[in-house]
Amino acid sequence: MNTNINQEALAFLQSTYKLSADQLEKLLVLATNSKNAYSDIYFQVGTEEGISLQQGSIMKPYRNLTGGAGVRSVIGDKTGYSFTDNVNYRNLAKAAKTAGAIVKYGSGTEAIKESSRSASSQLKDLYPVEETLLGVSLAEKINLLRQIDELVRALDERITNVTANIYVSEEIIVIATSLDELVIDRRPMLSLGVTCLAEDGANKQIGRSAGGGRVDFSFVYEDDRWQSFALEAARDAINKLSAKDAPAGEMTVVLGSGWPGILVHEAIGHPLELDFNRKDASVFSKSLDQKVASELCTLVDDGTIADRRGSLNIDDEGTPTQRTVLIEDGILKNYMSDRMNAALVGKSSSGNGRRESYRFAPQPRMTNTFMLPGQSTPEEIISSVKHGLYAFSFADGQVDVASGNFTFAANGARMIRDGKLAEYVNGATLIDNAAKALKNISMVGNDFALDKGIGNCGKGGQSVPVGVGMPTVRINNLTVGGTGK
Amino acid sequence: MNNHKLEQLAEFVIKEGLRLGATDCAVSMYIGDSITTEVRLGEVEKQEGAQESGLTFTGYLGKKSVSVSSTNFRRDALTKLIRQAIEMAKATEEDQFAGLVDKHLLATNIPDLDLFDPALEKLAPEKKIALALAAEKAARLYDPRISNSDGASFSNTSAIVVYANSLGFLGSYQSTSCGLSASVIATDENNVLQSAGWYSGSRFFSTLLSPEEVGIEAAKRTIRQLGARKVETQQVPVIFEPTRASRLLTQFVSAANGDSIYNRSSIFLDKVGELIANPAVQIIDNPLIPQALGSFPFNREGLPAVKRQIVKDGVLQTYLLTGYAARKLGLQPNGGATGNLSITPGNMSFDEIVGTVKSGLLLTGTFGSGFNPVTGTYSVGANGIWIENGELAYPVHEITIAGNMLEMFKSIEAIGNDPITTSPVSSPTLKITSMMVAGK
Repeated sequence: MNTNINQEALAFLQSTYKLSADQLEKLLVLATNSKNAYSDIYFQVGTEEGISLQQGSIMKPYRNLTGGAGVRSVIGDKTGYSFTDNVNYRNLAKAAKTAGAIVKYGSGTEAIKESSRSASSQLKDLYPVEETLLGVSLAEKINLLRQIDELVRALDERITNVTANIYVSEEIIVIATSLDELVIDRRPMLSLGVTCLAEDGANKQIGRSAGGGRVDFSFVYEDDRWQSFALEAARDAINKLSAKDAPAGEMTVVLGSGWPGILVHEAIGHPLELDFNRKDASVFSKSLDQKVASELCTLVDDGTIADRRGSLNIDDEGTPTQRTVLIEDGILKNYMSDRMNAALVGKSSSGNGRRESYRFAPQPRMTNTFMLPGQSTPEEIISSVKHGLYAFSFADGQVDVASGNFTFAANGARMIRDGKLAEYVNGATLIDNAAKALKNISMVGNDFALDKGIGNCGKGGQSVPVGVGMPTVRINNLTVGGTGK
Repeated sequence: MNNHKLEQLAEFVIKEGLRLGATDCAVSMYIGDSITTEVRLGEVEKQEGAQESGLTFTGYLGKKSVSVSSTNFRRDALTKLIRQAIEMAKATEEDQFAGLVDKHLLATNIPDLDLFDPALEKLAPEKKIALALAAEKAARLYDPRISNSDGASFSNTSAIVVYANSLGFLGSYQSTSCGLSASVIATDENNVLQSAGWYSGSRFFSTLLSPEEVGIEAAKRTIRQLGARKVETQQVPVIFEPTRASRLLTQFVSAANGDSIYNRSSIFLDKVGELIANPAVQIIDNPLIPQALGSFPFNREGLPAVKRQIVKDGVLQTYLLTGYAARKLGLQPNGGATGNLSITPGNMSFDEIVGTVKSGLLLTGTFGSGFNPVTGTYSVGANGIWIENGELAYPVHEITIAGNMLEMFKSIEAIGNDPITTSPVSSPTLKITSMMVAGK
């Protein structure tokens, strides 16, 4: 028996779709269509549920059932893809034929081969969930939302609206490949978010807090988590009521630990995805083994951290995830890859082939991406700045991979004056060039933290959950896009 | 599946919802068939075929409501799904504002807006490949500094939308859309890469821009950013070219969304009837334009599509209200989401507007969302062309522009005469008197 064939996966396909091992093989041959091509089928069955509270009312709860399968055929650098929402042998055969039609356009000398780290040989169990998330009753969730609402409103009468939401999902992924692999993964996801509106006369501000991961529901109760999310959102809104205009121009910026690691994700992560680099379309193309960042910087992508939002036992091509050092002491060491792009440069996948769902072909994507801690204390970092910005919360970010220009939008920030944290300022977009900003990192803190589990990353029209992390970091000469002087 | 079969299925779902205990219910369905062909460096790179289906059932038990969705249209699976919905509804709380829109407001006449192009289905795969190849080729041949390509693509979609509810509304419509895009990379003497692209989208193949037009525009937009520099931090006039002005318009109007209003989270709260823009500004939403990309004959709640003037002579006329938001605010619903949103063109040509600027920015690219609808704070990453003495001088990047959205719209001092486009959001060139540009 082939060790890469997972019997549970086979049993799942048989019971769910009445698909036999023989039929699966026929489909893969149909999609492969040539000896140099590679094919895979990605099956997904999932349920997601959400409920929210707004202005004291429980909003319409929802449940979405997802299910389908996508067939991919790869030859050289060419991809054919097709999916069906209604999985049976006949529809899969149709999809396989559509995907396999790509083969006539390709030659495929760099075929995807079985890697040494292939499939089920080293299956991890990073997110064992003891009690099903979908089993948590609506009554329990409503009760939690009500408690959040009460707690926040009792805190301060300036809080005039509370929005809280709970999202849970569970999905089963089965991946069959033309390399005789058949693997299964069960993926839970939980998130809890709180948004508060504070009003003081005409002055209004929003505060937010959220978190989650591939965890069971006890996550929200452990360490008084729901209370801390609720209070953080409320305090964030109230603190901002006193906010002044954000400054404009180049200045020293100190980024807080945790979620501001979005810097790492945008400025370094995306430009180090192998698809851009194989095509010489990234600011960091052809930069392997070169110094691209300050020697204080070591950056890692790690899909193997237990319970995290960005973690996966296997990626969406069936490759086990791994820890990849991207930049070590400022030197570029590795790109992040999927199977096709890795094969095209003669390497093995780094376990970063991900997709939003069965409706999409995989791309090289990040998992949990972060900067390792340094030596300085956060107090030393802040006290080293005479005049600058301390940004501790971010809304989103974006990068132009070719030029390396990136932005990220601070929605929580304070001024630093004479080495001390001073007034709150309104949100502002920060902009710089990746090649330059990384070299301008002048201090790295010892207070490393991962984010609380709220990140989504968009690329090529596909959204996937990710994690980021960072210690407190000082960057010189970052441009801050406020309206003030 | 065709319209007729889907409508039958929708009727089945409504009957089944009522049979299983819902006091009211609604169903919306979507099926879409799309094909995307991508080419890069003169070769086919990717072909994707997609057959999507989706169904959302909303059930009410008095004032309790719930929604469930699935991609599985089999009748036994749908019955099971509806049973789940009813069980969920029993377990949730009442919301006095929940419910379908009032029956007398439902659309009774579904106009034919000519949204379906039969020619697209007959387009051969080879022809689509040829179109994408021609667009990429036109871009790459435009200038020797075009050094690489992010590829070009052609895609087309054919879709059917159905909505039905237990008040007797049943409607469906078929539509098509197609798009051609190209994106290329140029290298300057310092080996700095710039990339940009262009896109043409339409419901009808015959009105799509030619591959040469798409490719050449992609190349021009890439080349003009070569050698971009950073400017000093300063307060200057900013001209939004139509692509950026359209994005600004989308953000501005998003704050009129009824949900943001009843959540007290909008700069437009209590602003209906007040001046929120320069009196020269007219903002209109018209989902009834034949053949247009944003058009629809009825909305997601069965309300008729109507033309709405959102801003008249700078004064906010209305919020965008779904049934729920309207009930919450004690107002009449008008359909929520926009169809074809536009700012009515003015009299000045693009060149005339540039000519009014002594020193300032022509904004051609933005990064990040950058708009806070609660405070009005607007701050985005930007690139564009610097204007000196009324003429385009040199490209700039790594800068931000910032202001307050209400102040920005009040200080729109010039509106271009660029024609309204076929895209769902269309704005002519806009000149804003003064914004903070942050750079060096």
